Amino acid sequence: MTVCLSGEIDHCVCESLRGEIEALLEDAGITKLVFDFSDVTFMDSSGVGLIIGRYKTVNARGGVTSASGLHPPVDRLFRLAGLHRIIQIEPSGGQTNTCTTTWN
Amino acid sequence: MHNHMELTFSAVAQNEAFARMVISAFLMQANPTLTVISEVRTAVSEAVTNAVVHAYGAQGGNIVLRATLSGSRVDVEVEDFGCGIADIDQAMQPFYTSQPDTERTGMGFVLMQSFMDTLSVHSAAGNGTIVKMSKSLEEQPS
Repeated sequence: MTVCLSGEIDHCVCESLRGEIEALLEDAGITKLVFDFSDVTFMDSSGVGLIIGRYKTVNARGGVTSASGLHPPVDRLFRLAGLHRIIQIEPSGGQTNTCTTTWN
Repeated sequence: MHNHMELTFSAVAQNEAFARMVISAFLMQANPTLTVISEVRTAVSEAVTNAVVHAYGAQGGNIVLRATLSGSRVDVEVEDFGCGIADIDQAMQPFYTSQPDTERTGMGFVLMQSFMDTLSVHSAAGNGTIVKMSKSLEEQPS
Protein backbone atom coordinates (compact mmCIF):
# COMPACT_ATOMS: atom_id res chain seq x y z
CA MET A 1 0.00 0.00 0.00
CA THR A 2 1.33 3.42 -0.90
CA VAL A 3 0.27 6.49 1.04
CA CYS A 4 0.99 9.68 -0.86
CA LEU A 5 1.30 12.56 1.56
CA SER A 6 1.23 16.20 0.58
CA GLY A 7 1.38 19.64 2.14
CA GLU A 8 2.37 20.17 5.75
CA ILE A 9 2.52 17.20 8.12
CA ASP A 10 2.21 18.55 11.65
CA HIS A 11 0.44 17.66 14.90
CA CYS A 12 -2.86 19.06 13.69
CA VAL A 13 -2.82 17.05 10.47
CA CYS A 14 -1.53 13.88 12.11
CA GLU A 15 -4.52 13.72 14.43
CA SER A 16 -6.80 12.81 11.54
CA LEU A 17 -4.23 11.24 9.23
CA ARG A 18 -3.35 8.60 11.83
CA GLY A 19 -6.88 7.21 11.98
CA GLU A 20 -7.27 7.23 8.23
CA ILE A 21 -4.11 5.20 7.61
CA GLU A 22 -4.82 2.82 10.48
CA ALA A 23 -8.26 2.13 8.98
CA LEU A 24 -6.59 1.14 5.72
CA LEU A 25 -4.10 -1.03 7.59
CA GLU A 26 -6.93 -3.04 9.15
CA ASP A 27 -6.52 -5.23 6.10
CA ALA A 28 -4.05 -7.66 7.65
CA GLY A 29 -2.86 -8.64 4.20
CA ILE A 30 -0.97 -5.40 3.86
CA THR A 31 2.64 -6.16 4.67
CA LYS A 32 4.31 -3.48 2.57
CA LEU A 33 3.65 0.15 3.38
CA VAL A 34 5.22 2.95 1.37
CA PHE A 35 5.03 6.62 2.35
CA ASP A 36 5.55 8.90 -0.64
CA PHE A 37 6.79 12.30 0.57
CA SER A 38 7.26 13.83 -2.88
CA ASP A 39 4.62 16.52 -2.29
CA VAL A 40 5.34 17.15 1.40
CA THR A 41 6.41 20.76 1.98
CA PHE A 42 6.88 20.58 5.75
CA MET A 43 7.10 17.98 8.50
CA ASP A 44 7.95 18.21 12.18
CA SER A 45 8.32 15.66 14.99
CA SER A 46 4.60 14.91 14.94
CA GLY A 47 5.11 13.43 11.49
CA VAL A 48 7.94 11.33 12.85
CA GLY A 49 5.55 9.94 15.46
CA LEU A 50 3.03 9.17 12.73
CA ILE A 51 5.61 7.19 10.73
CA ILE A 52 6.91 5.28 13.75
CA GLY A 53 3.38 4.37 14.80
CA ARG A 54 2.52 2.90 11.41
CA TYR A 55 5.92 1.17 11.25
CA LYS A 56 5.00 -0.60 14.49
CA THR A 57 1.68 -1.73 13.06
CA VAL A 58 3.25 -3.15 9.90
CA ASN A 59 6.32 -4.54 11.64
CA ALA A 60 4.14 -6.46 14.11
CA ARG A 61 2.80 -8.51 11.20
CA GLY A 62 6.25 -9.06 9.73
CA GLY A 63 5.90 -6.39 7.08
CA VAL A 64 8.13 -3.67 5.74
CA THR A 65 7.72 0.11 5.80
CA SER A 66 9.57 2.33 3.35
CA ALA A 67 9.65 5.97 2.31
CA SER A 68 10.28 7.71 -0.98
CA GLY A 69 10.54 11.24 -2.33
CA LEU A 70 12.30 12.73 0.70
CA HIS A 71 13.17 16.37 0.13
CA PRO A 72 16.23 17.64 2.07
CA PRO A 73 14.33 19.07 5.11
CA VAL A 74 12.35 15.84 5.55
CA ASP A 75 15.45 13.74 4.94
CA ARG A 76 17.26 15.71 7.65
CA LEU A 77 14.38 15.07 10.06
CA PHE A 78 14.52 11.34 9.24
CA ARG A 79 18.22 11.29 10.09
CA LEU A 80 17.85 13.25 13.33
CA ALA A 81 15.10 10.90 14.45
CA GLY A 82 16.98 7.76 13.40
CA LEU A 83 14.20 6.72 11.04
CA HIS A 84 16.76 5.61 8.47
CA ARG A 85 17.52 2.68 10.77
CA ILE A 86 14.01 1.24 10.66
CA ILE A 87 12.47 2.64 7.48
CA GLN A 88 13.78 1.66 4.07
CA ILE A 89 14.51 4.76 1.99
CA GLU A 90 13.82 4.39 -1.69
CA PRO A 91 16.05 6.50 -3.94
CA SER A 92 14.64 9.68 -5.40
CA GLY A 93 13.91 9.89 -9.08
CA GLY A 94 12.87 6.28 -9.31
CA GLN A 95 9.52 4.93 -10.27
CA THR A 96 6.36 6.94 -9.81
CA ASN A 97 4.29 5.47 -7.02
CA THR A 98 0.72 4.48 -7.63
CA CYS A 99 -1.08 5.90 -4.64
CA THR A 100 -3.42 3.68 -2.70
CA THR A 101 -4.52 6.80 -0.92
CA THR A 102 -3.62 10.46 -1.18
CA TRP A 103 -3.88 12.77 1.78
CA ASN A 104 -3.70 16.54 1.63
CA MET B 1 17.35 46.62 10.94
CA HIS B 2 15.48 46.25 14.20
CA ASN B 3 11.92 45.02 14.12
CA HIS B 4 9.68 43.34 16.67
CA MET B 5 6.38 41.51 16.47
CA GLU B 6 4.10 39.99 19.08
CA LEU B 7 1.04 37.89 18.38
CA THR B 8 -1.43 36.21 20.74
CA PHE B 9 -3.51 33.29 19.53
CA SER B 10 -5.53 30.42 20.97
CA ALA B 11 -3.71 27.23 21.91
CA VAL B 12 -5.43 25.08 19.32
CA ALA B 13 -3.83 22.75 16.80
CA GLN B 14 -5.10 24.75 13.83
CA ASN B 15 -2.83 27.61 14.89
CA GLU B 16 0.36 25.57 14.55
CA ALA B 17 0.38 26.19 10.79
CA PHE B 18 -0.66 29.80 11.40
CA ALA B 19 2.35 30.36 13.67
CA ARG B 20 4.66 28.89 11.01
CA MET B 21 3.23 31.20 8.37
CA VAL B 22 3.64 34.22 10.63
CA ILE B 23 7.28 33.56 11.51
CA SER B 24 8.12 32.79 7.87
CA ALA B 25 6.53 36.03 6.69
CA PHE B 26 8.26 38.04 9.42
CA LEU B 27 11.66 36.61 8.48
CA MET B 28 11.27 37.38 4.79
CA GLN B 29 12.24 41.04 5.28
CA ALA B 30 15.74 39.86 6.31
CA ASN B 31 16.02 37.81 3.11
CA PRO B 32 17.36 34.60 4.69
CA THR B 33 17.90 31.40 2.74
CA LEU B 34 15.10 28.86 2.41
CA THR B 35 17.10 26.52 4.63
CA VAL B 36 17.23 29.07 7.44
CA ILE B 37 13.52 29.82 7.11
CA SER B 38 12.78 26.09 7.20
CA GLU B 39 14.82 25.64 10.37
CA VAL B 40 13.20 28.54 12.23
CA ARG B 41 9.68 27.57 11.24
CA THR B 42 10.34 23.98 12.36
CA ALA B 43 11.60 25.18 15.74
CA VAL B 44 8.57 27.47 16.14
CA SER B 45 6.25 24.65 15.10
CA GLU B 46 7.74 22.41 17.79
CA ALA B 47 7.46 25.05 20.52
CA VAL B 48 3.88 25.98 19.62
CA THR B 49 2.88 22.31 19.36
CA ASN B 50 4.33 21.66 22.82
CA ALA B 51 2.20 24.49 24.19
CA VAL B 52 -0.93 23.24 22.38
CA VAL B 53 -0.42 19.67 23.59
CA HIS B 54 0.84 20.20 27.12
CA ALA B 55 0.03 23.65 28.52
CA TYR B 56 -3.71 23.63 28.93
CA GLY B 57 -6.42 21.12 29.63
CA ALA B 58 -9.89 21.28 28.20
CA GLN B 59 -10.32 24.91 29.30
CA GLY B 60 -7.77 26.06 26.72
CA GLY B 61 -5.73 29.24 26.82
CA ASN B 62 -3.47 31.52 24.83
CA ILE B 63 -0.03 31.32 23.27
CA VAL B 64 2.13 34.39 22.62
CA LEU B 65 4.63 34.35 19.76
CA ARG B 66 7.25 37.08 19.81
CA ALA B 67 10.06 37.64 17.35
CA THR B 68 12.72 40.32 17.12
CA LEU B 69 14.97 40.94 14.14
CA SER B 70 18.26 42.60 15.03
CA GLY B 71 20.53 42.86 12.04
CA SER B 72 21.12 39.32 10.87
CA ARG B 73 19.82 37.68 14.05
CA VAL B 74 16.34 36.64 15.09
CA ASP B 75 15.18 36.07 18.66
CA VAL B 76 11.98 34.11 19.13
CA GLU B 77 9.85 33.52 22.20
CA VAL B 78 6.89 31.18 22.55
CA GLU B 79 5.03 31.70 25.82
CA ASP B 80 2.05 29.99 27.37
CA PHE B 81 0.32 30.56 30.69
CA GLY B 82 -0.56 26.96 31.42
CA CYS B 83 0.54 24.19 33.75
CA GLY B 84 4.28 24.77 33.40
CA ILE B 85 7.04 22.19 33.45
CA ALA B 86 7.98 20.73 36.85
CA ASP B 87 11.30 19.23 35.70
CA ILE B 88 12.81 21.10 32.76
CA ASP B 89 15.93 18.92 32.52
CA GLN B 90 13.79 15.81 32.22
CA ALA B 91 11.50 17.43 29.66
CA MET B 92 14.50 18.31 27.49
CA GLN B 93 15.93 14.80 27.46
CA PRO B 94 15.83 13.36 23.93
CA PHE B 95 12.84 11.09 23.40
CA TYR B 96 11.32 11.89 26.80
CA THR B 97 7.58 12.44 26.64
CA SER B 98 5.10 12.95 29.44
CA GLN B 99 2.51 11.27 27.21
CA PRO B 100 4.03 7.86 26.39
CA ASP B 101 0.63 6.44 25.43
CA THR B 102 0.39 8.87 22.52
CA GLU B 103 2.62 9.12 19.47
CA ARG B 104 4.55 12.08 20.83
CA THR B 105 8.22 11.39 20.06
CA GLY B 106 9.91 13.55 22.70
CA MET B 107 11.93 15.16 19.91
CA GLY B 108 10.56 18.68 20.14
CA PHE B 109 13.38 20.21 22.18
CA VAL B 110 15.96 18.16 20.23
CA LEU B 111 14.81 19.76 17.00
CA MET B 112 14.69 23.23 18.54
CA GLN B 113 18.29 22.78 19.70
CA SER B 114 19.38 21.36 16.35
CA PHE B 115 17.79 24.04 14.21
CA MET B 116 18.45 27.14 16.34
CA ASP B 117 21.70 28.56 17.74
CA THR B 118 20.47 28.98 21.31
CA LEU B 119 17.57 27.58 23.30
CA SER B 120 16.47 28.21 26.86
CA VAL B 121 13.33 27.15 28.67
CA HIS B 122 11.89 29.09 31.60
CA SER B 123 9.08 27.45 33.49
CA ALA B 124 7.73 26.38 36.85
CA ALA B 125 4.82 24.14 37.75
CA GLY B 126 1.62 26.15 37.51
CA ASN B 127 3.30 29.24 36.12
CA GLY B 128 3.43 28.72 32.37
CA THR B 129 6.42 28.29 30.09
CA ILE B 130 8.58 30.56 27.96
CA VAL B 131 10.77 29.02 25.27
CA LYS B 132 13.47 31.43 24.07
CA MET B 133 15.46 30.73 20.92
CA SER B 134 17.80 32.70 18.71
CA LYS B 135 19.49 32.17 15.39
CA SER B 136 21.80 33.90 13.00
CA LEU B 137 20.05 34.36 9.68
CA GLU B 138 23.30 34.02 7.79
CA GLU B 139 23.45 30.39 6.75
CA GLN B 140 26.30 28.57 8.47
CA PRO B 141 28.36 25.92 6.66
CA SER B 142 27.09 22.47 7.67
